[in-house]
Formats: sequence, structure tokens, C-alpha cells
Amino acid sequence: MYNIYFKQAIRGIKSNPSRTLLTTLGIMIGIGTVILVLSAGEGFKSYVNAQVEVYGSNTMFVETSVPASTKARSNGASESGNVNSSANNAVPVTTLKVRDLEDFKNIPNVKNSYGVSVGQQIVTYSGISKTALIFGSSAARFDIDKGVIEMGRGYGIEEEKSLSQVAVLGSKIATDLFGDETPIGKLIRLGNYNFEVIGVYESKGSFGPMSEDDQIFIPVSTLQKKIQGIDYLFYAVVELRDKSKADATKLDIIDVLRKNHYISDPARDDFKVNTQEESLSVFNTILKAITFLLIAIASISLMVGGVGVMNIMYVVVTERIGEIGLKKALGARRRDILYEFLIEAVLLTIIGGVIGIIGGSFLAFVVAKFAQSTGLAWKFIVPIWGVVIAVSVSMIIGVVFGVFPARNAARLDPIVALNKE
Amino acid sequence: MLIELKDIIKNYDNGGVITKVLRGVSLSVDEGEFVAIMGPSGSGKSTLMHTIGFLDKPTSGTYLFDGEDTSSFNDDELARIRNERIGFVFQSFNLLPRTSVLDNVILPLLYNTSKANQESRAKLALESVGLGERIHFMSNQISGGQKQRVAIARALVCDPKVIFADEPTGNLDSKSGATVMNILERLNKDGRTIILVTHDRGVALHANRIVTISDGQIVSDVLVPESERIHSKEIKEDE
Repeated sequence: MYNIYFKQAIRGIKSNPSRTLLTTLGIMIGIGTVILVLSAGEGFKSYVNAQVEVYGSNTMFVETSVPASTKARSNGASESGNVNSSANNAVPVTTLKVRDLEDFKNIPNVKNSYGVSVGQQIVTYSGISKTALIFGSSAARFDIDKGVIEMGRGYGIEEEKSLSQVAVLGSKIATDLFGDETPIGKLIRLGNYNFEVIGVYESKGSFGPMSEDDQIFIPVSTLQKKIQGIDYLFYAVVELRDKSKADATKLDIIDVLRKNHYISDPARDDFKVNTQEESLSVFNTILKAITFLLIAIASISLMVGGVGVMNIMYVVVTERIGEIGLKKALGARRRDILYEFLIEAVLLTIIGGVIGIIGGSFLAFVVAKFAQSTGLAWKFIVPIWGVVIAVSVSMIIGVVFGVFPARNAARLDPIVALNKE
Repeated sequence: MLIELKDIIKNYDNGGVITKVLRGVSLSVDEGEFVAIMGPSGSGKSTLMHTIGFLDKPTSGTYLFDGEDTSSFNDDELARIRNERIGFVFQSFNLLPRTSVLDNVILPLLYNTSKANQESRAKLALESVGLGERIHFMSNQISGGQKQRVAIARALVCDPKVIFADEPTGNLDSKSGATVMNILERLNKDGRTIILVTHDRGVALHANRIVTISDGQIVSDVLVPESERIHSKEIKEDE
């Protein structure tokens, strides 16, 4: 039954293919942009997830944090005279210790953990100097972290205990310092000490000032005692046995920390425990906001495209006025004419939508390839739900903007239409 | 009585200026008749045909078609009458461009309630006008005479009671015109009612009755004596 309408609509579209393409340009651009935004968003998400995966998928972060109650006091100005307001954020919280990590091991769901201290040092090798972030971490890092050591090895517990001067390099800094030379067994200078390079990481595909490819990893005890002269940790990574029990384990970790840090009032917590979901949720919220904003902009193009389709449908109705009159004379009812033109409008917008999907996907593919070529772990993903939405939106636009011209056509008086021929 | 018009008045309102096109036309046509409506241009003959053919609604008057009063019919019911009981043949053929001969003839069947055997019904109609061989030609690849025969096949395909032909030979050379008239005569002989609008007496004389209209009124309504009737010869497939 409906294939009659399709046949007639397709005949109409075929009658002027180049105009069809031009008409649907707005829809193409709009839908293309939507697909590009959604796909790039998914690609970016895949990149971020890959970065998180580097820490291991079933891990939890324990960070130090300025207690909320202290912050409140400083914001409340001069309640206490000796509070240096700027100090709250500048002075590090010094309460997270290796002892806390030892206690985490008593929690049944905790499999392993490592603490990290971070410092910045000038690193020198045969005349080349660079400023690098030095990550002091426990030997357990090499069991938990998913980064692959491409050359050499990580350090062990014995080396950590004996404050060994050994270092594992990120892939980029290794290339920067050594070029084609093999770094393993070479000595680099960090501050006043020589460190033996024992391993080099494979590239982790990250970018920015915090890229792990630019970092140097040494035993946390060595960094704390020989270079920094401190005994606290910046953060700790805890590996879980069962990811699904993360929320309960989080409470256990909080208990241990409150007990060790003598905290009874949660407002005075000097730490934050984040599951991976929590770390990602902030990022996802931001990504969603950006995506919505960009799609809102793209929908302006869709509106303009819809008006373009409406415009051309009015032209088409005028052009085929004689044909409409003939069809009515041969017994076409109002709704027959209405459906024919409506389906033609919807086909127009769907054609635009499909070309938009292909074009948008292609652009997203180019973006992904570009990102990959710069070493980012960026996946090319076109979300199926995005395609479904794009096609539905094109159809809806076709109906909304096609219905008025189609109704005009359907209401034509047969004799008036015939005489126009 | 197949068609019964009583006091049909048709006025056109052009921005306050009322043009009286039909001023009280009463006309009856029996099933099986071949009626020619004649008259000079502007006499109202086309409007009369459009009114009888349900393409236009009268301003007042009653129209009984096959015994039914059609004045209360809505658009859908009128569309159905046009589709099932009436076939139109126009002066300028009105075939769909970029469409095959077969699809042109199928067109009325698309709006027909019975959707079965569309292709075979269309082929049968085309064979009856001698175009069985050309069904896959495009509508712009055939001659004017052939186009009008396709139009007749299209008018026939839903098996209507009446065929309305509005100056069917007006755009044709005499030979093609004769072929078209021969087909119409044959259809009439098979029992179909034909109503023909023409200003050409030579064409009108194919009919068995001539109704002359002038200034929106019927001025004469005469039967054509068999001796005066013109019969076009059947002309074989023109190559």
C-alpha cells in the first residue's frame, strides 16, 4: 500500500538529483556535526578510559586533601588570628604515610597498594638537561600499574628498602635523553645523585604536562629520604580483589585512615578516597555538557536545513501542480497526495541524514587517525545510538517541515491544478 | 438514467466580480450514449464537462449520477467516483513525464481499492488501444497519437462507466485523430458511455447526439441521424 507513495516520492526525488543534494545540504551539515561531536566525544572518552586503565581497572585512589573544616575557617576570615589563609592550599597535607598502606592490607578486599611522592628535578645525561617530574613509588607499582616496561625491568622491594638509586624512564624522556643509545645500565643525574636506568616504559599514549611518558619513576623511599627529606605520600593507589565491592572497601579504607589520623569528625578528613567510577564521573559530566552544547549548535544547522527542505517542497508542489491535478482527476484522494509529498520530504531529509552520517563519521575517523598519529590511545567509535538518533531526527525534520507544503498540495482543487498545466 | 443534471448553475468569483459560466443547465445522458458537447470557446462547455466529471462542484443545482445525489459527497467520495466510474482523456494527454507507458496506465490503479493484478490489467488496457508492444517505452519516446492512446488506456484501466474526452484530437494530426476517434467509437459500441467536448463539427459527428452550449446555456440538443454520422476506420499500428 505505502510503496505507491514511496514509488511516487522516489520518482520526484530522481527528477532533480542535484537539487536534492543542495536541498539536503543543511541537514547533511547538521547531522554530520552531530555524528562528529558524538564520535569525537566517544573517542575522547576512550582515551581517558585508556589513561585510567593504566592504573589498572580495579584500583582506587587515596589522595590527601585539606580538611573541609579548615577551609571553612579560613574563608570565615579572622576567627583565628594565626591562620595563614594562603597556607591552606600551599602547605601539603603530611599525614598520609606508608604505615597507612600497611594497614590497608588488612582489609580483605585490598589486594595490593602503592604510595607515591612527587617531585620535580633536573635530570642530566651526558650534557643534556631536562626538568622532569620524578615519581617515587613503591615497588608494588609494577604489579598494579598496567604500563608495559619495554626494556629492562622495574625495581623490587629489596631495592626500595635499601634506598637504591635506580630509575625507570617514561618512553619520551628516554628518547629525549638517550636518542638511539640504549639507556639500560647508564647513569643519569637527579639532583645530587646518580641513578642507574634499569627500565624504560612503553609509550602510554598520553599528552599534556602530566604525561606519564615524560616522567621518571624511582623507589618512593629513595625520593623521600635522599632527595625530598620528607616521610609523607602525595597519594596512594589501592588494588582491589573484587571491583564490585568497591563501595564497601572505600568505607573500610576511610575507617583505617580516620583511625590512623585520629579523626572523629568527617569534616576534618585530610584525605579523599575515589573509586574509578567517581574519578570518571566528573570527567563524564563535563564531556556531556560540552557534547550538549555542540549538539545545540548543530541543531541550528538542522533547523536551517529543515527550512531549506520546506522551501524546496513548496517549489516542488508548484512545479508539479499539473501532475497533482491529474492524479486527483484519476482518483487520488487528499491523503494520497499528502503522503506522497510528505514521504518525499522525509526521504530528502533521510538522504541528507545518511550523507551527514557518512561525512561526520569520516571526519571523526580523520580526527581519530590524527590523534593516533600523535601517539594518543584514541579509538574511532561511531555510537550506534548516535546513528539511530540522527536518522530519527532527520525523519522528524522531514515530517515537521514537509507537512505544510504537502498539505498545500493535498488541498489543491483538481480543476485549478489541471488548468495550471 | 446514468447522468441527470437539473438547473446546474456555476459562478466563478474573481475578487468580487462574479462570472456566470453555467446558467441553469439541465441534461440527461443514458448509459451507452455517445454525446458530443459543442460550443465556441468561453461558452462553458469545458466547465460543464468538469462538473459532470466531478472535477468541479456546481454552485447550485442537483446532479444525480447513476441515481445517486452527489451534492452531499465529500472529497474522498468524489475521488472514488472519479477513480472507479469515470475515465478522463485530455487534449494535452497529461502523461507523467519520465515514466514508462505501463506505469502511466497503472497510475489510476494505485488509487483504486482493488490493488490486485495491476500490471496485467494495465497491459490489457494497452492492448485494447493497440499499444501492447510499447509498454516499456518512456512517455516522451512515443508520438502524439500514441500518447493519446496511452491516455485512453489509462482512462479505461479501472473499467469506468463513462469516458470524458476533452478535445481528444485537438493536438493531433488527422491520421492520429482518426485512430483516437475509432477507439472511442469502438468503446461506445462495447457499451461504454462517451462524453466528448469539441468545437470541431467533424469530430462531433462521431457521436449519436450533439448538445450545443452557448453563453452557459444549452441551445440545442439533437440526435445525429445515422446517415450523417462519421465513422473513422480502424488504422493499424502506426509505425
